[in-house]
Amino acid sequence: MKLSDGKSITDRPLVVVVDDDESVRESLPDLLGEFGFDARVFPSAEEFLVSDSLGQTKCLVLDIAMPGMTGFELQQELTVRGQKIPIIFITAQKDETVRTRALERGAMGFLLKPFSDTALLGALNVALGLR
Amino acid sequence: MATEPESPAEEIRHLRRSINDLVSVLALPATWTGGAPSQIVGNSLDALVRILSLDFIYARLRESTGPAFTEMVRVGSNWESKPRPEEIGEKLQPWLENDPQQLPAVVKNLFGKPVITLVPLQLGLHAEIGVIVAGSQRADFPQQTERLVLNIAANQAAIGLRESGLLSAQKRVASELDERVAERTRELATINEELRKEIGERKKKEEELRLNEEALRLAHTQIAQSEERWRSVFENSAIGVALSGLDGRYIAANPVFQKMLGYTEEELEQLRFLDITVEEDREANWKLVQELLGGERRQFQIEKQYRQKNGRAVWARNTVSMVTGSEGVPQFWMALSEDVTEQHEAKVALDKARSDLAHVARVSTLSALTASIAHEVNQPLSGIVTNASTCLRMLDADPPNLEGARETARRTIRDGNRASEVIKRLRALFSKKNTAFDSFDLNEAAKEVIALSVSELQRNRVIPQLDLAAGLPSVLGDRIQIQQVILNLIRNSSDAMSTVADGPRELLIKTDRDESGGVRLSVRDTGAGIDPKVEEKLFEAFYTTKSDGMGIGLCISRSIMESHQGRLWAIRNEGRGATFIFSIPCRTNT
Repeated sequence: MKLSDGKSITDRPLVVVVDDDESVRESLPDLLGEFGFDARVFPSAEEFLVSDSLGQTKCLVLDIAMPGMTGFELQQELTVRGQKIPIIFITAQKDETVRTRALERGAMGFLLKPFSDTALLGALNVALGLR
Repeated sequence: MATEPESPAEEIRHLRRSINDLVSVLALPATWTGGAPSQIVGNSLDALVRILSLDFIYARLRESTGPAFTEMVRVGSNWESKPRPEEIGEKLQPWLENDPQQLPAVVKNLFGKPVITLVPLQLGLHAEIGVIVAGSQRADFPQQTERLVLNIAANQAAIGLRESGLLSAQKRVASELDERVAERTRELATINEELRKEIGERKKKEEELRLNEEALRLAHTQIAQSEERWRSVFENSAIGVALSGLDGRYIAANPVFQKMLGYTEEELEQLRFLDITVEEDREANWKLVQELLGGERRQFQIEKQYRQKNGRAVWARNTVSMVTGSEGVPQFWMALSEDVTEQHEAKVALDKARSDLAHVARVSTLSALTASIAHEVNQPLSGIVTNASTCLRMLDADPPNLEGARETARRTIRDGNRASEVIKRLRALFSKKNTAFDSFDLNEAAKEVIALSVSELQRNRVIPQLDLAAGLPSVLGDRIQIQQVILNLIRNSSDAMSTVADGPRELLIKTDRDESGGVRLSVRDTGAGIDPKVEEKLFEAFYTTKSDGMGIGLCISRSIMESHQGRLWAIRNEGRGATFIFSIPCRTNT
C-alpha cells in the first residue's frame, strides 16, 4: 500500500479503536488513515485484550459505555497488566463527572461524540507526544 | 138503487132508509166505547159496507209514532174473493199518496171491475189519523145522503180513535205513575232503614269521640313534650339542619345551618335552596330533589358548595330526605348539612401534592430519557461528522481519492438516515399530549421504550428479550404515562441486576391478555429479587433501595396505573429475581 507520506505500513503508528458502535468502527479508520496512522478496530474490550494488536498499539481511542467490559474497566485492566498505552476516551454521553473521572485516571484525551476531525487530530498529537 | 126521478112514495121510503142508516151509524160509538183502534175502525167499515151496499171500503190508519200504518178492508157480498188489505192499498197508492181531496175519482178496470167510483174520507182535520176510501160500481154513487153517512161515520171514527188514543195514553201515564210511586216508596223505606242505622252509629261514634278527645288531650301533652325535645335537638344539633317546603323555600333552619351560611332564619325563609347553591352544583342538586319529589328515592347524599351571604363558597356534605304526612303525601324535605370545607381543602392540597409529585417523577424520568436520547442521536451524528471529514480530506488529497470519498459519502448518508430514524422514534414518544387519553397499541408503546433503553441496558450488560403477544386489543390511556411506567420498570429491573455480580442478567418483557379481558405487561428480571421484609413498602413513596433514587418511581407508576383503572403489582420469581406486572383494561372494556 502506497501511503501519502511515503512511509511503509509498518512505519505508521498503530491507533486502535474500541467501540461497540458500528458506524464509529467503520468511519474512524479511514479518517485515521488520512491522518497517516495505521488503524485497527475492535467491537469490545475483551476482543482487543486477546488480540495481537495489544503490544503494538501506540494510542487507544476508547468508547466508555459498552456492553461487557466498559472503557474504564479496560483502562484499569491495562494498568494492572502494566500496558502503558495513551488513551483518548470518546463518549456520546455528555456528563461532566465522567470527563473528570476519565482525566483523573490519566486519559490523554476526552472527546464527546460527535467530534470534529481536527479535535481528534489534536488529541492524537498530544497522546503520541507529537506536539 | 134506481137513479130515475122517484115517486113521492118511493122518495119517502128512500128518505126513511137514509135516516135509518144515519141512526145506525150514529149508534156505532156505543159498540166501541173503550175499544182498540182496530175495533173502532173495523166496526165502522162493517157498518158502512153493509148500509151503503159498497163494493169495498178500505182504511189506512197512521200509527201514533213513526211512518208505519195499519191497513184494513171490507168488501161487498158480490165479491168472490176477499183481497188482502195490502193489495187494495197498493192499487189505491196513486190516490192515497197525493191529496185525497182529489177524489172521488172514476177509475176504470180496478179490481177486475170495469168502472169504479172512489170516495175518500179523511180521519182528522188533515188526515193525520188516517184515510178511508169507499168504492162502488154503482153509477149514482155517491148520492148526497150516502156522502153524509160516510162523512158522519168518518167523523165518529176519528173522534173514537182520538178518545181511544187519549185513553191508552192516560192508562200508560197512570201505570207509570203507579210504578214510580212504588219505586219511590221502596227507596224511602231503604233510606229510612239506613237513617235508623246511621243514628245508631252516630251515637256510638259520639261516645268514641268523647273517649278519643280525652286520649287526644293526653297525647297533645305528650306531643308538646316531644316537640320540645325535638326542638331542642334541632336547635342544639352539631350538624346543620334545614327544612324546605315543596317549592324549595326554606321553612326552618337551625343555628348551625344559619351560621354555616351566614344568613338568619328569617333571611333563609325568603330563599330557595338553589338560590344559595353555587352555579355548577345546581343542576345535579335539582335533579336529585326532583327524584325525591317524584318518589323515586326517599333520600340522597350530595357533596356541594353553598354561597355564603358574604359571597364565600362553603363545602357541605348533605343528607336529604323527604318527610311525608300520615297519608304518605310529601310535606317538606329535611337536609342534614355538614360543613366539610376544611376536609375539602385538605383533599385539594393532597391532590396538588400528588400531582406535583407526579410532575417531579415525570421530569426525572424525562431527564433520564433525555440522557439516553442524547446518546442515541449522538452515535450516528458522530459517524456523520467523521465520514464527512474523511470525505473532504480524500477529495483534497493530491491526487484526490475519489473511490474513498465516494464510500465515505455513502456512509454519511446512511448514518444521516439512521439519525433521522432515532429522531422519528423520539418524536412519536413525545408528540402525544401529556394528559390525553387515547387508544393505543401497548406492544408498539413498549417497543419504543425498549428501543430507547437498549443501549443503556447493554451498558449494564442486560440482555432484553421480548415476548409480545400478537393481536392484542388496543388499550385506553395516556400513552406517555404508560411508557413512563414501562421505562421505570425496565430501569428498576436493570438496576436490580447491576448489583448482582454473577449469573446472567436477563430481562424478559412480555405482553398478553389477562383473565379479566384486559392487557397485561410484565417485566421479569434475574436481579436481587424482593426482600420479604420490605415487600409491603415497595410501592410506598420515598422508599428506595438505591443510593441515588428518590423512591417515587414505583409509587407514581402504581398511581398512574390506578388512574387508568389498571393495577401494578410485583411477585418474587421461583428462581432468581422479581417480576413486575401491570394490567390495563382494553378499549372495549371501558
